[in-house]
Amino acid sequence: MFEVLIDQFWSLTIAGVALGFIYVLVSLGYTMVYGVLRMINFANSEIFMWGTFGTIITSRDIFGYTQTSAPATGPKLALVLISQLLMSMAVAGLTAVFVEYVAYRRLRAKGTNRLATLISAIGISIVLSELMRLLTDSRPVGSPRVLEKIILGEVWGANLRLDTIVTIFAAAGIYFLLERFVKLSRMGKAIRAVSMNEDAAKLMGVNLNRVITTTFLVGGLATGAAAFFYITVFEYTKFNIGFTMGMAAFTAAVLGGIGNIRGAFYGGLFLGLLEVYASAVLGTQWKAVTVFIVLVLVLLFKPNGLFGEAVQTTRA
Amino acid sequence: MKIRNYWNLRDFGANLWENASRPKRVAIALISIGFVALLPFMGASFLATPIASYDAVLVYPVGMFVLMSLGLNIVVGKSGMLDLGYVAFFAIGAYTMAILGTTTKLNTWEVMPIGIALSMIAGVLLGIPTLRLRGDYLAIVTLGFGEIVRLVLLNSSWSKGPNGIANVPMPPNIGPLKFELENQKVFFWVVMAMILLTIWMIRRLTVRRPGRAWEAIRQDEDAAELMGVHTLKYKIWSFTLGAAVGGAAGVLYASKNLYIAPEMFTLNVSILILACVVFGGIGNIWGVVIGATILGYLPDRIRFISDARLLVFGLVLVIVMNFRPDGLLPRKKREKAIVKREANA
Amino acid sequence: MASTRKTLLKLDNVTMKFGGVTALNGVNLEVKEGEILALIGPNGAGKTTVFNVITGVYKQTSGIVDFDGISLGNQKRYQVTALGVARTFQNIRLWGDMTALENVITATDVHKKSGLVGALFGFPRARREETENRERAMEILRFIGIDEYSDRLAKNLPYGVQRRLEIARALGTGPKLVLLDEPAAGFNPAEKVELAATIKRVRDAGYTVLLIEHDMSLIMGISDRVVVLDFGTKIADDIPSVVQKDPRVIEAYLGVPADAS
Ligand SMILES: Nc1ncnc2c1ncn2[C@@H]1O[C@H](COP(=O)(O)OP(=O)(O)OP(=O)(O)O)[C@@H](O)[C@H]1O
Ligand SMILES: [Mg+2]
Repeated sequence: MFEVLIDQFWSLTIAGVALGFIYVLVSLGYTMVYGVLRMINFANSEIFMWGTFGTIITSRDIFGYTQTSAPATGPKLALVLISQLLMSMAVAGLTAVFVEYVAYRRLRAKGTNRLATLISAIGISIVLSELMRLLTDSRPVGSPRVLEKIILGEVWGANLRLDTIVTIFAAAGIYFLLERFVKLSRMGKAIRAVSMNEDAAKLMGVNLNRVITTTFLVGGLATGAAAFFYITVFEYTKFNIGFTMGMAAFTAAVLGGIGNIRGAFYGGLFLGLLEVYASAVLGTQWKAVTVFIVLVLVLLFKPNGLFGEAVQTTRA
Repeated sequence: MKIRNYWNLRDFGANLWENASRPKRVAIALISIGFVALLPFMGASFLATPIASYDAVLVYPVGMFVLMSLGLNIVVGKSGMLDLGYVAFFAIGAYTMAILGTTTKLNTWEVMPIGIALSMIAGVLLGIPTLRLRGDYLAIVTLGFGEIVRLVLLNSSWSKGPNGIANVPMPPNIGPLKFELENQKVFFWVVMAMILLTIWMIRRLTVRRPGRAWEAIRQDEDAAELMGVHTLKYKIWSFTLGAAVGGAAGVLYASKNLYIAPEMFTLNVSILILACVVFGGIGNIWGVVIGATILGYLPDRIRFISDARLLVFGLVLVIVMNFRPDGLLPRKKREKAIVKREANA
Repeated sequence: MASTRKTLLKLDNVTMKFGGVTALNGVNLEVKEGEILALIGPNGAGKTTVFNVITGVYKQTSGIVDFDGISLGNQKRYQVTALGVARTFQNIRLWGDMTALENVITATDVHKKSGLVGALFGFPRARREETENRERAMEILRFIGIDEYSDRLAKNLPYGVQRRLEIARALGTGPKLVLLDEPAAGFNPAEKVELAATIKRVRDAGYTVLLIEHDMSLIMGISDRVVVLDFGTKIADDIPSVVQKDPRVIEAYLGVPADAS
């Protein structure tokens, strides 16, 4: 049962870290929105899914790559990859802003109860995924290979594949950029102020709507970047791909302590590794089940996550 | 003023009911039940459905949607908890019927209590860890649970994996009433009976202690607990009763469809049912009944909607929540009715 | 005289910290059966926190809360209520979509035995308890003097009635000890006088009252004893006339509006 895990430990680990970084970026979409709204961004999984289509459309329809064309090289390679990344981020970022505008804003202004907002958010995520289902005729969509999966070398018997390495370093870079943004920029400080105490932040003259829109945008950009890396590694997408990704990234966010950006980092990496190891032991069909069990266990025994604030705060 | 009154369906109905004497009420109830029971004979009218057979449509989706929406409404409407994995209980009921029906001699009516019990057990097992958490966590955990149940069914040998289970037996005939595939009137009447039973149960509970506890939890859970309501207990009850109704629907569904497979129990079902509840009016039994009837029926009547069914339902969720959060029939507001009665007296 | 009475509630060296903020610092407090004990102090002194610790909203960082011989530390919130402690909220938290009567009936449910199955099948005990509850709740509304509003939705009631309904709801749980958190907040002088009379009637009906209030004249008029908190520490505990002259209390209240006279 454990032979695969032991045999391929290092290649699994590398794959797990790459997957983990994808989770880190998607869970930022959950964690940042949760920070300011104290509410789960239910549509984040579909924002991710739209990002994956943004990535594929760029290489396939703008640059004209097909399943049979040769991978890009040199400056062209950089151009295509960066365009894909930017497009994915743009699509996801705009979708996120759209979601906030359509599903959350009006209800927030009315101050209605959480249940209404939750249902509205569920509704918009169904709309996003169904729209894509109708547009793609429920078919999976493959991505032309832009980045050749060259094997760069070998460490402890594990192959270092180009796409995995690019993913790990680029995703880590984007994560640190975003973290800096939230730490240092004016807007980032406003976001953190709202996360800590909405009323106080408002008194200090923070424009709440702008902060919330920005938060959705930044979360969407992170999620969009993740979508690009996901396509680079897995080269495939479908209208319903968001669900599993969303569950996993949300679990990562809770694991790290939802609302906490650093937490998303550790939670994502932990979950990426766990998922890869668990699949090696149990088989890939039980991947989602493993993630779910982790989620329930965390909520049961460590609901604050490893770094986070309390999930449940009541004040009479 | 007068005209607005007609638009306010709830008050119109409530007035009709509250101003009626007891025999008159019995008459209203019997006539309504009779009318609904005769619906399967109206297939030749403008009600006819172009795609599927009319009386089959009445059973599924219409009747089943109404039944499940009533069940989900106990959870979402009465106690304010968002359960996005409702399909799981439907699946558990259906697989109980399919497995027991094909491997033992038990018939549908004998499996029914077992299916209900298993759904309730699943409800308790899921409820105990998750119902302590705040609303949105419950939503996402139940969402995951619904999908996990499907994945387990898809990947296990006892459930025959993706092939599903065929040759599920039909229910045995009840006296002269025969269950037939081509003519599903009897199925419809059975669903109707289950719906009436559910409505009876909800109405009973609503006016007594459990209903008050749920109402208090929905409006302010902390205050409820501090006023002595054992909130966890009542939340689990609500969740479990919802599960029971879902399970019962599942048992009947399996022995109507004769074949079930994991692909029938996707997240979409949960969303469809939620849309029915929201569209009709969260928390209002009659609203839910009407909402589920409309949303169950329309996609089979109008071909365009049939293809984009889920898209429409998603839009329903967003639009209703943003522009008419009470749905078609708002939650009962007793004060108005009382004031009206005084005015009439 | 008061000192010979039995102690109903006892806080022993209770400390409550929120991160860096110490809301309560080694507070000792005794409430004797049948008295009206006033808990006063400037804004943010920790008064509401005392209530929150007693009712189990927060678990104290250290110290013991003992009610009628039972330590409340390990009790769930609804169990604390069942044991006989009920409270009102500083910021009104009625169930707005229920009628006034239903608000109180829901509270009376706490001591009833019949559950969901009884309600479903209409067992005799369930039916009997339903009628008992309804009558009891109506009685309480009458006792507080708001029975004319019984069929109105709580959210549509005038502010003053809502405040009094909070008290009625607390009494509905059949408590031994009632915790009132600023029940006169936002009242005009005439309403305050009326409320003072109501609180006295509550006490005379056999309930023990722990009262948070800012209005000194109201407190001096009805309380048997006054405890003063300042920055989470108890600075005085005596009969009203003594507390009123205590220099530390006057200092703590300096700068607080003149209604403190
Ligand atoms: N949940 C909490 N988290 C952090 N700090 C809290 C919390 N609850 C209370 N505090 C702090 O504890 C201190 C005491 O608060 P408390 O509400 O008990 O004051 P109070 O005496 O009731 O004041 P007021 O007269 O304004 O009602 C305050 O500094 C408050 O900010
Ligand atoms: Mg206070």
